[in-house]
Order: sequence, then C-alpha cells, then structure tokens
Amino acid sequence: MKLTRRNLLKKSGQLAGALALSLKGFNFFDWSAEAQEAEIEKAPTLCNTCGTQCGAWAYVKNGRVWKVEGHEEDGRSQGKLCARSHGGLRWVYDSDRIKEPLKRVGEEEFEPISWDQALDEIAEKLQDILHEYGPRTVGFGHYPRSTGTFYGERFMHALGVSTVCTHNTSCNAARNAGFINSMGGVPDADLANSKYVLMIGRNHGGGIRTDQMKKVSKALAGDTKIVCVDPRQNDIAKLADEWLPIVPGTDLALVLAISNYIIEEGLYDEEFVEEHAIGFEDYADNISRISPDWAEQITDIPADKIKEIAEELGGNRPQAIVHPSWGGAFGAVYANSDETARAVSCLNALLGNINQEGGLIFHPTPELGELDSDKHPAPEVPDTRRADGVGVMGEFPLAGDHGLPHYLMEKAKEGTFKSMFIRHHNPVRNFPDYDHMAEGFKSLELSVVFEINMTETAILADYILPECSFMEREEMISAVGGPKASIGMRTEVIPKVYEETKSFDEIIVELAERLDIGEYFNFTLDDLNEALLEPYDISLEEFKEKGSMLVDLEPPIGETDLNTRSGDFEFYSEVYEHAGRSAVVGWQPPAVGMNIEEDEFRFITGKEGFHSHTATANIPSLAQITKDYDTNRLWINSSVAEEMGIEDGDKVKVESSLAAREVRVKVTERIHPGTVFMPSGYGNRTPYYEKSQEIDTLNPNDLVPYRTSNISGHAMRQEALVTLEKV
Amino acid sequence: MSEGKKNRRDFIKGSAAAGLTALISGTALSKSEVLAADGDNAKKALLMDNSLCIECQACRVACQNENEIDVEYSFIKFISNEVGEYPEVEYQLRRKSCMHCPDAPCIAACPVDALSEGKGQFTVIDAEECIVCGRCQEICPFEVPEMGEERMYKCDACQHLLAEDKEPACVNTCIAYALDFGDYEDMLEKGQERVDELKENHPEANLYTADYSEGEYGLLLILKTAPENLDLV
Ligand code: SF4
Ligand code: SF4
Repeated sequence: MKLTRRNLLKKSGQLAGALALSLKGFNFFDWSAEAQEAEIEKAPTLCNTCGTQCGAWAYVKNGRVWKVEGHEEDGRSQGKLCARSHGGLRWVYDSDRIKEPLKRVGEEEFEPISWDQALDEIAEKLQDILHEYGPRTVGFGHYPRSTGTFYGERFMHALGVSTVCTHNTSCNAARNAGFINSMGGVPDADLANSKYVLMIGRNHGGGIRTDQMKKVSKALAGDTKIVCVDPRQNDIAKLADEWLPIVPGTDLALVLAISNYIIEEGLYDEEFVEEHAIGFEDYADNISRISPDWAEQITDIPADKIKEIAEELGGNRPQAIVHPSWGGAFGAVYANSDETARAVSCLNALLGNINQEGGLIFHPTPELGELDSDKHPAPEVPDTRRADGVGVMGEFPLAGDHGLPHYLMEKAKEGTFKSMFIRHHNPVRNFPDYDHMAEGFKSLELSVVFEINMTETAILADYILPECSFMEREEMISAVGGPKASIGMRTEVIPKVYEETKSFDEIIVELAERLDIGEYFNFTLDDLNEALLEPYDISLEEFKEKGSMLVDLEPPIGETDLNTRSGDFEFYSEVYEHAGRSAVVGWQPPAVGMNIEEDEFRFITGKEGFHSHTATANIPSLAQITKDYDTNRLWINSSVAEEMGIEDGDKVKVESSLAAREVRVKVTERIHPGTVFMPSGYGNRTPYYEKSQEIDTLNPNDLVPYRTSNISGHAMRQEALVTLEKV
Repeated sequence: MSEGKKNRRDFIKGSAAAGLTALISGTALSKSEVLAADGDNAKKALLMDNSLCIECQACRVACQNENEIDVEYSFIKFISNEVGEYPEVEYQLRRKSCMHCPDAPCIAACPVDALSEGKGQFTVIDAEECIVCGRCQEICPFEVPEMGEERMYKCDACQHLLAEDKEPACVNTCIAYALDFGDYEDMLEKGQERVDELKENHPEANLYTADYSEGEYGLLLILKTAPENLDLV
C-alpha cells in the first residue's frame, strides 16, 4: 500500500487511541515523517506569481506539486513566501490552461492547430509585415525577466525591431524616471538602520516584495520612526507610528514644502550639496515660494505637521529617508508623478543620505558571465526608430526603453503599428481604459501571445502559443542585487503537464529558424547558463540542485560618485531642459485638477497582499480570501457615507468620465473623505477565469481614461474623478 | 440571533470564566515542566506578534497547502476592529486559531477521542476519527473548530513538521516575521519583552493569555490593545 498522509493519519488515530499509554517511547510522527519522505521530492525554482521572483523550493508529492517554501539562499525570499506564491502553484493544474496552439477564427473564438501550422503561419505573416511596412511597425511586450528579455530582445533585434516594451508605464516608470534623472538610479532603502522614514504611498504589505517587507518589519519592531502618507490607511500605515492622510495627487506639494522648509531652516547637508551636487541654487530658487501653509491648503496635511516632518528628517539625517517607493503615490499614477519622484529624490539628496547607513544605498548586483560572442554572435541593436515615440523629439524623448504599450495601441488604431508579440504580460487589462487597449490590440494585423492562461490580452490575439508553466521549465540564471544579493534559476520541478506546451526559449528558437535568423540561436539553454555561471566556482549541474545562491558583495557605503551624466547629484537636469521640460522640479497639479465638484471623489487604487494584478483572482485559495474577508469593495469614508445614506455593504453606481459601474462599498474611517479606493485585483474580462467570476467586480482600469505623461510616458493609473450614487 | 448561537455564546462565557478560575489555582510545577522533566514531549508554543501582522494571508495559504485542506476552510483566521474616528483611527487585529489550551476542553468533550494532546503538547484532531458532531466547537472558549462536511477543522501546529524538527508552516512563511515558534518558556519570554517595548506607545499592550492566566496556552498573542476589543475573554 502506498503511504499517503491521509491514511497515515488514520493509522496514527488508531495508534493514539489504542496504544497511547503503552507506547510512550514510540514516536509515531517521527516514524511517519520518515515514511513520507520516500515519496516527496523537492526541487528549486523561482516563484512566478509576481515580478519579485522569489527563490523557492517546490515539493512534489506523487508527481504533483504540493507546496512551496522560501529558499533561504535567495536574496528576495530569504526563506519566506507570500500568499500569492502558495496560491500561485495552482496555476500549474488550472483546468483552463492553454493546452495547445490556438488560432483565432472569430470574435474570441479559437481552434486548436499544430505547432508547425502555428509557427509557419506566424513566420509568414510576420515576414510579410516586415517586408511591406518595415520593422518599425512591429513590437514586443513582456514582463521583463531573464529568459523573456534575453530571447525576446535577441529575436526582435535580429529582425531589426527596436520597439520592446515592458509593463513599467503601468507600474513604476515615473518613480524610475525621477530617480534616474537626478540620482542616477533607484537605490535601496536601508530601513532597519534608519531613524526616521517617511513613506509616501508605498504599501509594502500590499505590493509585497518579500525582502523589502523584512526590512519594514525590522524597522517597525525596532527604533525606526515610520510615518506613512497615503489617502488610505494602508497595510503598513495601520502598523506605523503615524498615518497622515493626504489629498490624492498632491504628494508633490508636500514634498516640495518639506524640502523648502529644510533649505530655509538650514537643516540640509550643505557639504553634500556643495561637493556632490549640481544645480542646487536653481532648484532652491524654484521652490522658494512653496510654504507649509500653502501646502496645507493643497494637501490637507497641517502646516505644523509639515514643519515637524521637515525637522525630524533634518534632525535625523543622514539616517533619515523619504522612501523611493514603487507604484504607490508616484509610480505611474498622476500627471505629476514623474516630478513627485524627482522631488523625493532631491529631498533625499538634501538629507545627504545617499550611500549612507540608514539611508539610501546603491547595492551592486552580482555579475553574470556572457556567451562567447565569437561562437555565438548577437544581432546588432537596430537603429530603427521606435514605434512608441521613446527617445523621439516631439513624442517621448525622456521615456526609458520600458516603452509605451498604451501609446502603441493608439498607433495600432491609426493603422501605423501592425504587429505585437506579447509574453507573460496582460496590457489589455492592466492599463487604464480597457476599450482603448482592446480596440488597439484588435486592430493589429498580427498579434501573438505566449501564455499559460487565457488572459484578457490572449483572448484577443490572432495566435496563442501555450507555454509550459514555471514549474515545468528551466530558465536562464538571473541575478538580484540588494543588501542580500544572489543568483538563482528555475529548474524543471515536474515534467510537462500538457504535452503540447513549450517553453518560451524553445518557441523562439523554432520561430527564428523559420525566419532565417536561426544563426543567432546556435546554443542550448544549458550552454547559455554555463556561460552565465562562469564567474562562479560551481558547475551548472550543481547549481541546478541548489537553485539559488547568496553572493557576498560590499555595500558602497560612503561612495559619492553617482551614475548620472555629471557623476554628481543633479538638482538641475540638462537632459530635461534639452527635451523642453523643466530643468528643476516645481509644483504641478494632478491632471484632474485641484478644484473638483462637491459630489466628486478622487479615485485611487492599490494592491492587496494576496492578489497579483488581475492574474490571481482565478486561484481558488486566493479568491476565497477575498470572499471570506469581503475585500472586493470600494472604500468610502464613514462620515461621507452617512451623509449620503450609504451603509457598509450597499451597492453604489460609481461613474467617471469614461464609464459607470456598480460596486459594493466598504464604509471605513481609514480613508480620506474626498477619496474612494478600489483594490486593483478584480474585474477580469476573460470568460476562461471561472473562479474569478465569483468575486468579479469593478476594475480600476474600467474607470480611468487613457493618458500619457510627457516625461516617462507612464499611464496615470489614478487620474479619475468619480461620483457615487446608491443603487 | 438564532437560539443555537445565543446558547453557545452564553456557554462560552461560562466556560471561559470557569477556565480562568481553574488556571489561577494552577500547580507549583507547570505541566510543561513535568513533561520536560519526563524528557518526552516538551511544551512548545507559537508566538504571534499582532503588532507586526500585515494580514497578507501567507500563513493561511501556506497552512492550507501544508495540511492539504480545502480552500473553503482555514485554520488561521483574523479578527479585526477599527477604533476611533478619521484621521485618529486605529486598526486592531489578532490571529484567530486554536489557542492550544492547557487541559483542552475539546479533548474532554470529544465522544470518539478524535482530539488528543500531540507533539509539543498541541491539541491535535484526527480527521479520520472525527464524526463531525460539533461538540468541540460548542465547548471551545475561542470559537475555533470549524465544521466541515466530513471533519472539523482546526490548527494542530503542523504535527508532521514538528516530527521532522521543523517549524509550523505559518511560522516558516510569515513575511512580516510576526510569527515565532519554540519552547514555551522561550516564547513566553520573547513575548513579554516585546510587550514591554510596545507598552511605551500602547499602554494596553499585553501578552494573551499569559498576562491573564497561569495556564500555558500553545498560542501566545502579542496584542496592542485589550483582549476584549478583539473578541477575547
Ligand atoms: S513576493 Fe510573493 S508572489 Fe512575488 S515572487 Fe515573492 S513569493 Fe512570489
Ligand atoms: S504571514 Fe505573517 S504577516 Fe502575513 S497574515 Fe500571516 S502572520 Fe500576518
């Protein structure tokens, strides 16, 4: 008889009942654990439920993935995994997985075809488009991680295509732009060693990154004072020393007022500013009229509180931080997000905390080797002008190479952009204005999606190419930097669940052969991983057993050279000036403006710690959390609700300039009265996500119109005003 | 309120009070010390710092996977509460799961001996023996066991992992480092230290149940607020 845990437990019951007293020396559980071991295997992988890609151990029982545990030697998970990860392994066995190549034969109607047919047809159509309209009309969009980036870019570059996009303009593109263009990059916050941390909009408990959460917890449990600014009392604000609600989209006013006060009161690090920064005078001059009193009117945060924050930041520097955040208040949310990010970066510079303990640290990333370019020549990076206006004067000269998928959809509708390949990415659902994205995507002459599930983007594609899940494929080794740096990889935990699925690298190689660019892929994944592993004293075979490995790197404490054009901190940006943007940061209101009607609310959104975008609403264990705690509701302030005669659980019609939707409300004291909040993980529009329909409700992107910032090109996910009506 | 529910409430109140009296009159040598001396089944405890919990539910889902229970059931639940008014509002929270009572009333109540004291002196339910009569649920002062179709559901501190000298799945995964596991005395000490720190800003901070009884519960809760605010007796 095979020993399953269930019948073991049964036995244990009998034992406990009959022999408990006489068998004191016999430890059943020790014995049963041993017996179980025989049929349980574990293999290393990287989680794939969110972008953090935590190192994990997958346990396989009777051939099925049973559970995951954090990998101790991975810099991200450090042995811990979030709910999404434990739930995410159910994807592997989702009965609605894509099991064979699909070709669209009607509106959201598909027929299964063979791999040969799929790849032949795609190659032929792509050839035609390249031939007729040129490589500028083709693009690749993905969630950028090791294998996808390497194979996807190499493939596109070989075809002369330069338009490679990521999800970033719906995530943290503004934050990145503001920091990169002043500080030269986005540093890591040394929270646990800091004395005072101002967190603006960053909710580490919702937008979880396990390693960051560890630092937040240390800081919360230690002596660090944490002050959270957010229109909503988010998952960290509820534990922090203070929660300061703010009018959505006005964080820039707060940051500038704090900065100006710090300058006026001489609380800043003069030595850093003089020795290691450029353009301070212009900057200081530009914000000199921004007072705490003025900011109070804009933000709803009392002037005295603003001064107190300034004094505490100045008094505790350099062990004081204004957190560089992520998506939060300035990731890709308001028209002024790029500038809020830059202002936050400048404020940190005033605190002189760069590369200081308890401040912001640019930790190095572990080195990886490269393929021998003589044996395996890479295609040249094409000088094709990008289709999404990145780097193009008159369009988006300052946007990074994360690209602008939402703007591409405008071009697709116009007919100037023809073909898009999408991998592990769902732009149609996860960018504002579903109709804009869907119409654009449907206008393409050739759309190809590489996926494991029928996402909102997949169901609109011409061809869907089924990948095997992350538990069934090996991937390229990747490196993560941070206070704990590591390298890691996915291994094949279980064999393919569905025979007709393939890994992305396999598919790309087969497509490349059909497009006569096979020469750029004259190596195996093992060859590639061996090359990547070259700097380390470990064989690939050994590494596949280990999965993740910590790499000891010195933090650059005291280093003042920055990765900017000048090598110094840039309060003044010549790059911005050259592109016709303001060289120094200043106040800019959100796109919906400062004066709103009495019956209007500012609409905000954010993640819950147990869902990853709209990708996990279909996972039973995660959907059940939503049900048990009734979380898929619109938050509204208690006193406002009372005035409007709305009670907890009531249904309201919420209407923006774009659409009207019905949703149930959560009445709470934990939100600014002029604001409503909706968690971002719901509102799937794919009929294939059956479970998700049980918790289906409004998705923020249904209400927020299509817009594009003129610096990073981000998609302004929170620029919407709504009215509410009880139904 | 249904008649059944009301009866249960009264009963819980009564049994909780009785539990407390019994505990206060506790013996000089604690049960764990006796057993530790026995060298056999040392008293262990889970320590949960509710002041750090972000309610991410990682513990819940890890637990469901580990113990292979249907997703409709969870050994780990949360009770929360908003106190005060905007913007001076405080969010309070605690884990709701088996407290692993000393001399657990559920063990005595079970007519088929499906409940017993297991490794680490945690209260263990044998799902195969359980006849789903609900007696344990009725008598539980903390309203913990959940009734399923074929069995009652409640935490057993991952007995099979303890047997391998591993910690329970919730502790292993908690990304906020709010959970700890170890010898009862160590957890008690850690909990008390943390409560002392918390008292600076939260005068009501306490270690539940250690601050209220001498009984050794297998789950210790670090709370920022008085237990009655979180539906605890
Ligand atoms: S944070 Fe959670 S979902 Fe994201 S990679 Fe880590 S464990 Fe997976
Ligand atoms: S894993 Fe930790 S932080 Fe998350 S809900 Fe459980 S106890 Fe709280």
